[in-house]
Amino acid sequence: MSDGVPTLSVRDLRTHFLTKAGAVKAVDGVSFDVAKGRILGLVGESGSGKSVTGFSIIGLVDPPGRVVGGEIRYNGANLLDLDDEAMRDLRGNRVAMIFQDPMMTLNPVLRIDTQMVETVLAHHEVDKATALARARDALGRVGIPSPEERLHAYPHQFSGGMRQRVAIAIALLNEPDLIIADEPTTALDVTIQGQILFEAQKLCRETGTAMIWITHDLAVVAGLADEICVMYAGRIVEKGTVDEVLDRPIHPYTHGLIGSVPSHNSRGRRLTQIPGMTPSLLNLPPGCAFRERCPRADEACLAEPEIAEAAAGREVRCFHPHLEAGA
Amino acid sequence: MSGPAAMIETRDLVKRFVKTLDLAGRIANRLGADVREEVVHAVDGVSIHVKHGEVLGLVGESGCGKSTLGRMIAGILPPTEGTILHEGRDVAGLEGPAAREIALKVQMIFQDPFASLNPRMRVEDIVGEAPRAHGVVDAAGQADYVDGVLLRVGLDPAFKRRYPHQFSGGQRQRIGIARALAVKPEFLVCDEAIAALDVSIQAQVLNLFMDLREDLDLTYLFISHDLSVVEHISDRVVIMYLGRVVEMSATETLFEAPNHPYTRALLAEVPRLDIRRRDYEPVRGEIPSPLNPPPGCHFHPRCPLAGPRCRAEVPRLAEIEPDRWSACHLNDGGVG
Repeated sequence: MSDGVPTLSVRDLRTHFLTKAGAVKAVDGVSFDVAKGRILGLVGESGSGKSVTGFSIIGLVDPPGRVVGGEIRYNGANLLDLDDEAMRDLRGNRVAMIFQDPMMTLNPVLRIDTQMVETVLAHHEVDKATALARARDALGRVGIPSPEERLHAYPHQFSGGMRQRVAIAIALLNEPDLIIADEPTTALDVTIQGQILFEAQKLCRETGTAMIWITHDLAVVAGLADEICVMYAGRIVEKGTVDEVLDRPIHPYTHGLIGSVPSHNSRGRRLTQIPGMTPSLLNLPPGCAFRERCPRADEACLAEPEIAEAAAGREVRCFHPHLEAGA
Repeated sequence: MSGPAAMIETRDLVKRFVKTLDLAGRIANRLGADVREEVVHAVDGVSIHVKHGEVLGLVGESGCGKSTLGRMIAGILPPTEGTILHEGRDVAGLEGPAAREIALKVQMIFQDPFASLNPRMRVEDIVGEAPRAHGVVDAAGQADYVDGVLLRVGLDPAFKRRYPHQFSGGQRQRIGIARALAVKPEFLVCDEAIAALDVSIQAQVLNLFMDLREDLDLTYLFISHDLSVVEHISDRVVIMYLGRVVEMSATETLFEAPNHPYTRALLAEVPRLDIRRRDYEPVRGEIPSPLNPPPGCHFHPRCPLAGPRCRAEVPRLAEIEPDRWSACHLNDGGVG
């Protein structure tokens, strides 16, 4: 945060899917900043709009989805003003994405070296030997043993965890300023997840890359992120530092979500459960989207709450936040 | 096992999956090549027991054989070797009504609520078919019986004429649970039963499992890769690695004082809400392929404490304290 301008600044982002049945407001007025070298955890359940937010930033929303409003400022410039050519120049170069399924990044019929060299040459005028050397360095950096030999392998010759490392190595190739990671460890085993989290953390510390880590798993962001945004039904309902949000959640949804995660002192007790299920985003009624499931809801919640500063550095979208001590 | 017979006990249970040679392989062998059959030792000599009324958690990473073990115990996969005892009786030796009785008493709940329900059947048939076929209810009582089972798992019986696709993931998992409960089982094998659900729905289903256990006096084998879930629900925990049990003890003991190096590594890796911006210190290496497991202790290539003995000799699962079992040479003369 030395120069004051955050790497990424999203303001009032709206991404809607215009279907025959009506507009699905997958992302509806999302704002956040990510500073250099920081990790933002974007947390939510299925259908909360967390992945669509990521796809919107990198310009990969497919029709019928469309970014219908807001600003995405990358180092000060609005990405939504860029044409396709300029966006392509940025994507994979300054801004990279890691997907849940590494096979979304990897081409199954090309060798790893071909794919990695291609990524370098698409953005830089260097000779092939330099590109290859960079590819080898990137593989080494994500902890792939004997990168020289593994360069000649095809994706199917790697295990799931190794494939995800290759996908991360490709994201790192051009030393991006911003990486969007969409549930990259969800399909992996615990010990392999630990390895990937280790690499991600090292990367941000060493290179100053800003990162958005999209996940449904609060425990993963607890160990990794600096800030957290909790999303529900297309909106951010709570925002703050990891410690603040997890130790003193003030939105009833965050409160319920943390209560529903089993932990080592919940043994034998019933978990706090949030009744009902996430609402359909199609024709979402006006007012607070969480009110049907919320223990604190009353008539006030029929109106739409705005996201507002509840305490220093804390923002919450609720009329009845948990502000009292010990709540 | 001393004392009263365990509800379920396995003795040296083994499951091998063999990929027999195809035509090309056989021809190649005729011509002098050395193409071998591929053998996966999915479960490699597992002896565990589940006591009456307890929840036994079974944890392991992909390919450790936990689901295969669960399926054998549930009776939907025959073991290659070894025995399964139900209340002290060998399940394999039973025939006719006795075998059916045990098949009904042990039911299974599957991971994927989208794949485990027949999309062409209505909920009332999915839940009602088995109790009707097995004579748990008669035709006249079926409708009321199904209503009762649906209510018990928290579903509105008014929806019983609907098809599975009209329900959300959490509701479908409840249908799967209702189907299992409909034949009045005593023992449920839950194979990653909440892994496919969202966090807030996971809590609902976990609470349902705990309520059912209390109300119906059920015993569970709860298979999961998620240590926090297992810690929450289990009385005892079994940890598996590449087809073998590495540690088995009471939940508190296992989580507070893990004995086996693999258990310790696994516990260190689990993300927890109360550990912030931690420095991850990952376990080295990959999980080896069960097609070609390392000799000796399966964990030795990744183990920080491994010695020469670990490469040569398979460690025995030994009782290091009463009811606390671990398979590591460190408990038994060292690794040298």
